Amino acid sequence: MKKWCVISVVLLAVVMVLGLNGSAAAEETVVVKVGNISPLSGPAGPWGQTPIPAYDAFVELLNKENPKVGNKIVHFKLIHLDDQGTPEGGASAAKRLVYEEKVKFIVGHWSWNFPAVAAVTNPAKVILVARNGNESVPGGAYNPKKMPYVVFGTPSYEEWISDVKAIVAAYPNYKKFGIVDSTQGKGIGWDYADKELTASGIRFHHEWYPVGTQDYTPYISRFKEAGCDIIFGSGDVLAAMLILKQRWEMGYKDWVIGTSGAMLDPNMFINVSGYDASQGFIGQNAAPWHFKKTKINPKYIQMCEDVMKIVSEKQGKPYVYEGWMDWVPSHLLIVLQAMQKAGTVDDTDAIMKAIRGGTFDTPAGKYTMSGAKTYGSPIVFGTAAGICKIQGYKTVFLSENPWKPLP
Amino acid sequence: MPPAGIWIDGLAQSCIYVTMAFGMVLVFSILGILNWTHGQFFMLGSIIVYYAVTAWGIPFPIGILISGLLVAALGVLIKKGILDRVKGDLYVGVVTLALIFALEGAASMLFGMEDRGLAIVLPGVLDLGAFSISYQKVAVILFTLVVMTIMYVVLNYTKTGLAIRAAAQQPQAASLYGVSVQKLSLEVMAIGCALAAIAGCIVAPLYPINPFIGRTPMIMALLAIVIGGLGSLTGAIVGGLILGFLNSVIAYYVSYLSEVVLFALVILILLVRPQGLFGEPLK
Repeated sequence: MKKWCVISVVLLAVVMVLGLNGSAAAEETVVVKVGNISPLSGPAGPWGQTPIPAYDAFVELLNKENPKVGNKIVHFKLIHLDDQGTPEGGASAAKRLVYEEKVKFIVGHWSWNFPAVAAVTNPAKVILVARNGNESVPGGAYNPKKMPYVVFGTPSYEEWISDVKAIVAAYPNYKKFGIVDSTQGKGIGWDYADKELTASGIRFHHEWYPVGTQDYTPYISRFKEAGCDIIFGSGDVLAAMLILKQRWEMGYKDWVIGTSGAMLDPNMFINVSGYDASQGFIGQNAAPWHFKKTKINPKYIQMCEDVMKIVSEKQGKPYVYEGWMDWVPSHLLIVLQAMQKAGTVDDTDAIMKAIRGGTFDTPAGKYTMSGAKTYGSPIVFGTAAGICKIQGYKTVFLSENPWKPLP
Repeated sequence: MPPAGIWIDGLAQSCIYVTMAFGMVLVFSILGILNWTHGQFFMLGSIIVYYAVTAWGIPFPIGILISGLLVAALGVLIKKGILDRVKGDLYVGVVTLALIFALEGAASMLFGMEDRGLAIVLPGVLDLGAFSISYQKVAVILFTLVVMTIMYVVLNYTKTGLAIRAAAQQPQAASLYGVSVQKLSLEVMAIGCALAAIAGCIVAPLYPINPFIGRTPMIMALLAIVIGGLGSLTGAIVGGLILGFLNSVIAYYVSYLSEVVLFALVILILLVRPQGLFGEPLK
């Protein structure tokens, strides 16, 4: 009897150990480091710093769901580095992420140093999820053969065109669109944008200004002489604030002014440009709960709403910035879903294969990667392309133009 | 012919450059150094008046006074604590360059990098029929006139002003007549920095305020004093006026090529008259 008791206990112990080991193998948690490079200092610093609390909160919520890749639970660890908005800063930050932190993915990239960052990430087979722009159109710096580990997770170029169409939809009786950008943005991308706008029947006039311009009176006069009554920029917030103010002072109070990119805080425009001048100012809207024409997964809408509440509570005041949702969260979900399709967390060749031409669901919407013909590789994701305007001291949703993929 | 708004804007721009350039020339005349940090004193002036008005509820004109005094004090501290301990014009120049980044970094840490505005000061537009001008721009023009008038009176009718002019022309002779050049250099540094801060204050309602707004005014002030003649106070005023109007008018005609044309014109002026319009002929 005593012998059978001992054998039973030993057998039970063996079964328990095997069972625990088995569960541990099925529930192994892998921490995947992901880099995020953006300007955290310098004039563009506020646009890099403001979304970080939201990114961190989103990653926390995502990790709480214990997403799985194969039989591994994946938790993401986001590492934020400052690129100072310069090519040298971008390359330096990318090298630190790739060679010291050993990341395999960098997401949310929007600085103007894409070529410098991509030159570091591609040879190391690190997937870079960025926005497109001048560098990505045919003839630009992007080369699908030399940069096989690049994904344009936010189609800034196409989004700008969609924004223009959304504005025209909101103001169908416009006379002429005034497009304004600094000479820093001058490039072949604008030729493609102009062609697209012309093909869409939109009347427009371009003006360029030197970087650092503060007096836009000459450019406003030129827009007036060209017959423009809507002025839309390509993301230079300082220029937008000054044009907003100076055209009001010049008497052109019925003009509509806007710029691409989400507003950090509408009160910033009110403080600089004046309350009356700021009313009706247009910016991008990325908050998924506004969209009607593009269907957004309710799960991601809820996550984004929860993030806004979490950050508001943490910082002790309302968190109003909504422009974070179609960057890191969208890019990270593309990476995660590609990992799940590929069945691996670190084989970037397999993950890129899953990304190219794949369909992904994010807070920006559900899209299939496109661009095979235009970019040489199907790596361009979509966006719901909505715009909002300042009304009072807040922003209200104005219009949207569902994004159409490029061939 | 450009519309009236372009000329008015050119005048407002000129006022900023005149005030900045005047302070720079004053410092150069006595200290013999080009203070590259001049733009950052402009920036600090804007930031201090912003907080004076919005956080402490101080009326804007008093805020300008406080800003000028505080930045003047900072300028004196920098002169005594740092610049006086560095030997050689090159090294002094390098130190003032380094101070650019130090002051911008400190301002970024203390005040944050986001854009702030003082559009609440003197809002509204004066409609003159053919054109309109904001009350803020009218204030810039009037205030510059007041500041330049005060400087004229100080330099021509006060003991300090006479001492400054004497030391600028003949420092050794001035010291023989009992002028303390060391004390004077501190006073001039204070006045120069205060002028930069005042320039920053008067434009604070016009433009966004952030730690990096001092760079462009510094470059334009430098151009103004080069056009006007290094060391010439009259030249600083004329140079500032020319630059402000040119900047506005050229941009109206050639848009983004304005900087190319403007700097090419500056080079042309210097080729024809290397000492600037009012400077001493070069030997």
